Order: sequence, then structure tokens, then C-alpha cells
Amino acid sequence: MLEQTGIPEASDINGVFPSDERLAKGPVAVIECFQRIPCNPCSTACRRGAIEAFDDINDLPKVNHEKCNGCSLCVSRCPGLAIMVVDMTYAEDKALLKLPYEFAPLPEEGSSVTALNRAGEAVGEALVVKVQNTPALDKTPLVSIAVAKDLARTVRNFRVTDDTSAESPGILRGDEAPSPMVCRCNDLDLDNIRDLMKKGFTSIDEIKRVSRLGMGPCQGRNCIPLVLGELSRFLGKPVSELDPGTYRPVVKSVSLGAVAEYDGEALTE
Amino acid sequence: MNKTADIVIIGGGVSGCSIGYYLLKNGAKNVVILERDYLSAGATGRCGAGIRQQWGLELNCRMSKFSCEFFENAVSELEFDGDVEFHQGGYLLLISAEAELEQMKKNIALQNSLGIASRLITLDEAKEIVPYLNTDNLLAAAFHQKDGHLNPFHTTQAFAEAFKRLGGVIETRTAVTGVTVSNGRITGVETDKGTIQTGTVVNAAGGYAQGIAKMAGVELPLYSERHNILVTEPVEPLLAPMVMSFSLNLYCQQSPHGSFVMGRTDDSQPRDLRVSAYSGFPELMSRSVTGLMPPLKNLRMLRQWAGLYNMSPDKAAIYCEAPNVSGFYTAAGFSGHGFMMAPATGQSMTELILGLTPTLPWPKMGLDRFETGELLLEPSVV
Repeated sequence: MLEQTGIPEASDINGVFPSDERLAKGPVAVIECFQRIPCNPCSTACRRGAIEAFDDINDLPKVNHEKCNGCSLCVSRCPGLAIMVVDMTYAEDKALLKLPYEFAPLPEEGSSVTALNRAGEAVGEALVVKVQNTPALDKTPLVSIAVAKDLARTVRNFRVTDDTSAESPGILRGDEAPSPMVCRCNDLDLDNIRDLMKKGFTSIDEIKRVSRLGMGPCQGRNCIPLVLGELSRFLGKPVSELDPGTYRPVVKSVSLGAVAEYDGEALTE
Repeated sequence: MNKTADIVIIGGGVSGCSIGYYLLKNGAKNVVILERDYLSAGATGRCGAGIRQQWGLELNCRMSKFSCEFFENAVSELEFDGDVEFHQGGYLLLISAEAELEQMKKNIALQNSLGIASRLITLDEAKEIVPYLNTDNLLAAAFHQKDGHLNPFHTTQAFAEAFKRLGGVIETRTAVTGVTVSNGRITGVETDKGTIQTGTVVNAAGGYAQGIAKMAGVELPLYSERHNILVTEPVEPLLAPMVMSFSLNLYCQQSPHGSFVMGRTDDSQPRDLRVSAYSGFPELMSRSVTGLMPPLKNLRMLRQWAGLYNMSPDKAAIYCEAPNVSGFYTAAGFSGHGFMMAPATGQSMTELILGLTPTLPWPKMGLDRFETGELLLEPSVV
């Protein structure tokens, strides 16, 4: 199911949780990384060697929970926000969960928040014990919340307000916030792309020609899927019905010197 | 879509949009441009973007001078709210043989007599313009500061917006499927979105011009030929002029954005409508260009593409009304220079269609030259 929903189930969670013996000894990192992708900052962040060096960058992290002291250095380093630190020794009946939290507004220390499970459903109350947002955390604040011990394997997030009718205030852009970058090669943001669509440029090739989208070093690998999504919303058509534009050789940029010195077999049509 | 039009222009490239703009500016009404894909989707959007006035034929000099002066003022003339990115870093034409030197001297004398301030320069002077130029196999160079390059997409867009502001209609994603003729006169254009009745059709279909003419029963002595270009990653400004060598058959420029754009002529290329990428091209191009400008070895190629040159028998454009079909006009056969000549094309076709007094030498550029043998053989083309 995880592959279809993106929501890990109890068996997935238990597979990555430390043993009860280890949990009883104090704070420890729990890494919920279930998909092989080329990513290893957790391993390089750990100063105790508790997250083994990767043979292949696509490997899933292997955590030696005995070496881990729950320092939480790895938590803000994980781009997927897949790591938390669990401390089952925090109090008699409470566990402390140190979570990466990238929503605004940040909660107040001492406030009460709604605890959420991995599907985003409310499962109880939590108390905000600590909020860390130092420059070293690089805009991934860490929020420590205290939850009932029997919810330690269930809670993975929280909501600041109980007002579920509000339009997710945390993730909406404020008026002052910069428009999200779409094409880093040619400095195009979402507002630029939307303006072009409103002017009538409604295919990838047209937007490309008028704005240089996809003409930079990434050759559209990063920006074109994003713009296809925007075009899909704008035109009310599924992405599968949109023309992804023309891809041209070379697959990867290569110096003219290397091409000029090529002495293999003659290339043909 | 309109059911009738006074004039239907086939082709939404720079030529079609320029013709549309000049027609409306000179009093024509009810003009429609049909484009089977989107504006500048064909040869315009695939061209090397060069603008030059250094030609060997008087009429090419006059047409290009008119065009270049237009481009200098295009943003205000067309009231464009963007930038057409006209970069007048000059054209540096490299000379590597005695015969070429003699021809270039004649060209320069002609150009100077027409008010084009080109000049013959020494290799030392050439190296002042491009310090890393390898002059080993060169004799001299010709240079004209007012030549340069221009953004084809934005220029076409500027013409198109001005055309629409004057009341013109552009139908994109509308493919022409037939041209109807009755008693030797144009009666309409059939498209995949319906039929437009009209007495006047302008064939500005670039690489597809001969096919459009056939629909009207007109034979044009044209064929299309694939030409290839590659583009590198953008870097700091390193190359001011367009560098061109007729003997090496290549050109290379650095766009204002920083990418190097380069192409070369290759006789092995197919003469049909294919614009697929030719895998042998990067090798040949890289060898020639890094031999001429060695530091370019370190530049990374990002992409290659191809477009169609629409070739005429003497490599000069054809501006004509078909002798056998009244009301069927053609502006084609630019042989690789349609983009830079677009303003002259608009002015010329407007004078031809509206019966105005010629201010440009288009009357010599009709089809009859292939009957009389008075060909316009241009000596200086890549």
C-alpha cells in the first residue's frame, strides 16, 4: 500500500523503529526512508557513524541504533523530512518526538497542538515543548512535542490550529513571499510562466521559444514537468494529453573539445 | 474563423508576419495569417539569427540595408513592449583564399557605394575583435560593425502583435489543406478548420512553400534542405561579432544570453522536409569551430537542432505573382536568409500586391529570371 498511498503502515514503521530495549535507553533517530533514491545527506551528517556510509547512493539508510545518541543533527538534513528523534524516557506517560516542521506559522513553545498521524488525521493532543529554528537548521525548524506514550508510533506531525476549515494557512504564499522558482537555468518563476500562459503561450514549445524555458544546462529536465503541471491546470487537460515538447541531443552536455576529438566510428543518420 | 478575407497569408514565420504588418500599414484590410503550428515554429525559430549587409549583389545589399535599418528601430516602430535583442557586434567575414579576397574587395566597393560602411581589415585588426582567433589559414577579413544578430522569436512576436493591433487576424494551429483556383484566379483557402474565401493568397510558407504552391497548381523551382545548428551553455560575453567563413562554411555567434550558437553547411544533408537531428553534425561543427577559435573547446554543447533552408536555383529570394494563377503570390526561396530580410520582404510584397511604386529591387526578383537566364547569383553565402 505504501507505494500507492505514500503512507507507511504499522508494519513499515515497526520495521524501522529501534528495539524496545534501545528506546528505553533514551533519545534515538527513526528514519522512515522507504524508497531507493540517490540521496545520502543523513549519512554524511552523522558524526558518530550511526548511519552507515552508502555503498550505492541509492541505498536506503542503515541505522545502527546503538551508536545513535539522538543528537538530531540528521533530522534537518533530510530533504524528505523522513527523520525524527523519539525519546521514550521523556516522562512517565509521555514520549518526546522531535520533528522537522516546514510549515508556517511555527507553534509557540508551551502551546497545545493537534497531533496528526501519517495520513494527516487528528489522533490526539500534543504539547509543544521546544521550537528550534537556528540558521544552522537551514529553514527546517525542529519542533519537539510531547505525546502520550502509546501514540509514539502513530504521531508524525501536528496542526497548529484546530480550525480545519481554514485554507491550510501554513503552506499558502504570503503576498510578500517570492514566486516559486520554476526554471533555475533561466530565472523563470511561477508568475512568469502564468503570465505567459495568460498571453496565449499554451504549449511547452511556445513557452520555451519565448522565455528560454528548458534551454539551459538542465535541458528541461527540471522545469518542463513543472510547467506541464501548470499547463494542465490552466488548460483543464490531463498532462498525458499535452505535448511535452521536442527533446534534442545531446542527452548530457559535453565539451566541444571532446566532441571534436572523437575518433570512434563515424556517426551516421 | 473568418469565412472571407481580402488577403490570406500562409505561414506564421517572420516573413508572413512582416508581410501582414506592411500590408495593413499600407492600407490593406481584412488580412488573415494562417499558421499550421505556432508563430515561428518553422525555419524562423530555428535560424542562426544573423543580420548582415555584406553581400555581393546590389539588390541583396539594398534589401538587407533596408531590413537592418528597420531592425534598429523595430521596438519603437512596432510598439513592442519587449526587446528584440538586436546586438550590432558586427559580422567578421574571414577570407582564406586569393579568389575570395578579390571577391571581397569587389563586394566592399559595392557595399560602400550603397552606404554600407564595411571595410577590409588585416588579421591583426581581426584579432583585436576576436583575440583568440586562429589566423593560421587566413589572409584577411571583412568587417561591418552594424551587422549582428537578433532574437527571431521576439522579432516575429513584435511583427505579429503590431499586425493584430492594426486589425489583422492570426489563426495558429490551422493547417492549410488546399488552395482553390477557378478560371486561373484564386478563390479560397481550405484548412483543417474550415474554408476562407479570398481572391489573394500570399505563400510565405518557408520550407513548405513549394508544397503550398502545388496546391494552387503552381510549380516553383524550390527545394528545402536541412541545416543544423548547435548551442552551448551560456558564458560571459566572449565574442562580439558574428564570425563567418565561406570557405569553412560556418558561422558562429554568442547570443546576448551568453550561449554560443553555430552552424555549418553540409552538402550531405537531405533535400526534403526532415528536421530531425543529424548525429554527424556535432563532430564536424566542433572540429571546424575549435580549429578556428581554440578556446571554444572548453564550452559545453547543450543541444542541437535543425531547420529548413528553402533554396532557389540562384540562392536569391523569389517575390512574384504566379504567372498561371492570378492572385497567388509567393515570397520564398530565401536560401537561408529569410529572417534577416523579413522587413524588406514585407515592404516588397506589399508593393507588389497593392500595386505601389517599387522602392526596393523586388521587380528583378520574380520567377521570369529563370526563363530569361538573368540569374541573381549571390557569391557570398554559407
